[in-house]
Amino acid sequence: MSSVNGEPPSVNGEPTSVNGKSWTEKARDRAVGALPPEKLLPDSQPSYMSSWIYVFGVLTLTSLIVIIASGSILALKGPGWWHFTGIGHFFNSIHLWSVELFFFFMVIHLWGKYWMAAWRGGRARVWMTGAVAFVVAVPCALTGYVSQQNFDAQWISTQAKDGLNAAGVGSFFNVTNFGQMYSYHVYLLPLAVVAIVIAHVLLVRRHGIVPPFQLSDRAQPTAREPESVREPDSVPAGGRAS
Amino acid sequence: MIASIVNLNHPANTVHWHFFSMSVANVVVIVLLLVVFAVAILAPFPGHGGTAR
Repeated sequence: MSSVNGEPPSVNGEPTSVNGKSWTEKARDRAVGALPPEKLLPDSQPSYMSSWIYVFGVLTLTSLIVIIASGSILALKGPGWWHFTGIGHFFNSIHLWSVELFFFFMVIHLWGKYWMAAWRGGRARVWMTGAVAFVVAVPCALTGYVSQQNFDAQWISTQAKDGLNAAGVGSFFNVTNFGQMYSYHVYLLPLAVVAIVIAHVLLVRRHGIVPPFQLSDRAQPTAREPESVREPDSVPAGGRAS
Repeated sequence: MIASIVNLNHPANTVHWHFFSMSVANVVVIVLLLVVFAVAILAPFPGHGGTAR
C-alpha cells in the first residue's frame, strides 16, 4: 500500500480503504447524491417560472444580504455613529428599509407558495423551513427595534415586555436589557435565520420549484362533459372527488 | 435634521371601523401587499415563452 502526492492509498494502482469508506467520503457521496452540481447551480429553469410571483423568493434573499451587510457596518461603528453622523443615519436607514422590504417580499412569497400548495411532491421540508425562517425572523427584527438606543427602542421594549410577560415567556429573556437584546440581534438570531434560509434554499434546489396545479387536478369540471368521455370514476356535478 | 417627506411629528392616525382599529401606516402596507401580490400574478412576465425548457 502506498500514498503518493496526496493520492488515496493504493495496492498495485487500485485504490484501497482500510475500513470501507471514510466519513468524509460518505459525506461527500451523500452530498453529491442529494445535490449534484447541475441541480445545485442550474443553468435553466422550468417554463412555468415565467411569472413575477416566482421572483419574490430571490427578492427576499437579496434583502437579507443587504440586511447582513448594512448590519455588519452598524455593528462595527456603534450607536454613536448611527445616531449622530450623516453617513451613520444613511446606513441605519438602509438597514431599516431592507428589513421592511425583507418582510414585504417574504409575505408575498409566502402567500404565493401557500396558494400553490408548495408542500406538494415531497416538498414538506421546503415549506416547513420557509415557515420557520419567517417565525425566527420576527424576533430577529424585534430585537433590532429594541436595540436602537433611543426613545423609540424604550417605548417598543416596554410594550413588548408587557406583551411577553402576559404570554408567560418573560422569564426567559428581558427585552428591556439592551446587552441581552443586542447580542440576540447581532449574533444568535441572525445565525439562526441565515442557517434556516440556507437549508431552505438547498432544499428548494434539491426538490425543484413546485409546479403550478394542472387543470386535470381539478376535482370537478366547470362544464358538463359528454357521457362518452366521462371517466368511470368521475364525480357528478356538485359532488366531491373520492 | 432634514425634514422628512411625510410629517411624522404627530400621533399616528388610525382607521376605526366597528371593532377594527389599525394605524393608517399598517393599513397602507397591507393594501400595498395585496396590490403587489395581484400584480405579480396578473402582470405578463418579460420573455415569457422564450428559451425555457
